[in-house]
Amino acid sequence: MRVEPDGATNYEYVTARVRARRAKLFDEDDYRKLVRMGPGEIARFMEETEYETEMNELGARFSGVDLIEYALNRNLAKHFDDLLEWADGKLYDYVVRYLRKFDAWNVKTTLRGLYSGASTAEIEDDLIGAGEFSDAFLSRLVNASSIEAVVEQLDGTIFGDAAADAYELYEEMGVLVPLENAVDRAYYAELMGNLPNEPNHAEELYIQFLRAEIDFRNLRNALRISRSGADIDPAEFYIDGGRLFAATELRQLAANPDELVARVRESTYGDELDAALDGLADAEDLIGFEHALDAALLEYSDTLSNRYPLSVCPVLAYVLAKEREVDNIRAIARGREAGLDAEEIEAELVVQ
Amino acid sequence: MFNSIAPVLQSSGPAITSTGMAALAVGLAALGSGYAERGIGAAAVGAMAEDESLFGRGLILTVLPETLVILALVVVFLTLG
Repeated sequence: MRVEPDGATNYEYVTARVRARRAKLFDEDDYRKLVRMGPGEIARFMEETEYETEMNELGARFSGVDLIEYALNRNLAKHFDDLLEWADGKLYDYVVRYLRKFDAWNVKTTLRGLYSGASTAEIEDDLIGAGEFSDAFLSRLVNASSIEAVVEQLDGTIFGDAAADAYELYEEMGVLVPLENAVDRAYYAELMGNLPNEPNHAEELYIQFLRAEIDFRNLRNALRISRSGADIDPAEFYIDGGRLFAATELRQLAANPDELVARVRESTYGDELDAALDGLADAEDLIGFEHALDAALLEYSDTLSNRYPLSVCPVLAYVLAKEREVDNIRAIARGREAGLDAEEIEAELVVQ
Repeated sequence: MFNSIAPVLQSSGPAITSTGMAALAVGLAALGSGYAERGIGAAAVGAMAEDESLFGRGLILTVLPETLVILALVVVFLTLG
């Protein structure tokens, strides 16, 4: 695990490679074809694309939608690991900051797996090796004998201190929630920590993007809680670092989606998000609303990458677009398996 | 010691001759194109690593800043000629 990178930053090299990979992502035509295929056909289609290696590797162990899903995860991990391998200096720091969310995902998956008594192989299948943790470290985590052993393993990583503190609470209460929250908080603290004090314009926008990500996460949490009707204070799930809402405001805004939209529109990134915000206001159900949020983030990252070609922005835009592609293909495969028709699945996709 | 330097300081004529200036021009131009090629080369290698068919285009773009040095050579010939 690399913590403090040094050396010169190689924006030219990384952005050139990233742009080439970006161009290979599925486009609207591919999706139009995919939504009309059955799971078997989708798998065959994927064998002829980017995903060929993964499909062949996993073909013997899995089949159908599982095969597609695991191949997607593995391909995602391969591409994001490449990013970390190429990037040097500050760029590495900026990229890994965002990709640590897969580390958080892996830690939570391991904890849940151990808690529910899943086998090592089952947990391993669900990991996404895209973050900063090495494969060796992940396998040590998965092979830990108890939750306490996992927490001990995490010592020295960004999740170490938070997890150790939360472990006592876990022992008292016997539920995983405090540990999972601690992992998430550590991720978001690291996301916004140690950013440059005097950022240049591109860095400033990158920071803004991270803030937008946190704002949208807050928004989504608030809406989910208000729609579910559960008696939970949205402020409890508030993540620090955004710029749209304070913890106290969130509760009030959660009750009134129109006010939320107005709030985002007035903010500094309102201009870039205008089109997406219209969709957001029209969206009737929560899923539509969330898709509009995803589309808004994608659009924002794309604007940034065109405006600042030699910065972290194109890399970030690629990361988001790739994640989106994987989510889209998964939605199509799962949708076809469940017997949804093409129009219903198309409504689930976020395509730019 | 001062006595030994004095004749040199007092000798007439410019400190850098036109040949020296010409050499400086080529040197600076080469430095500039070298810096430009650094970024272009990195991007070209990155693009080629993804798609080998870009080799020709990458090569041309990488050597384009060399024209700076060629123009500087023209200056040399004008100065010395």
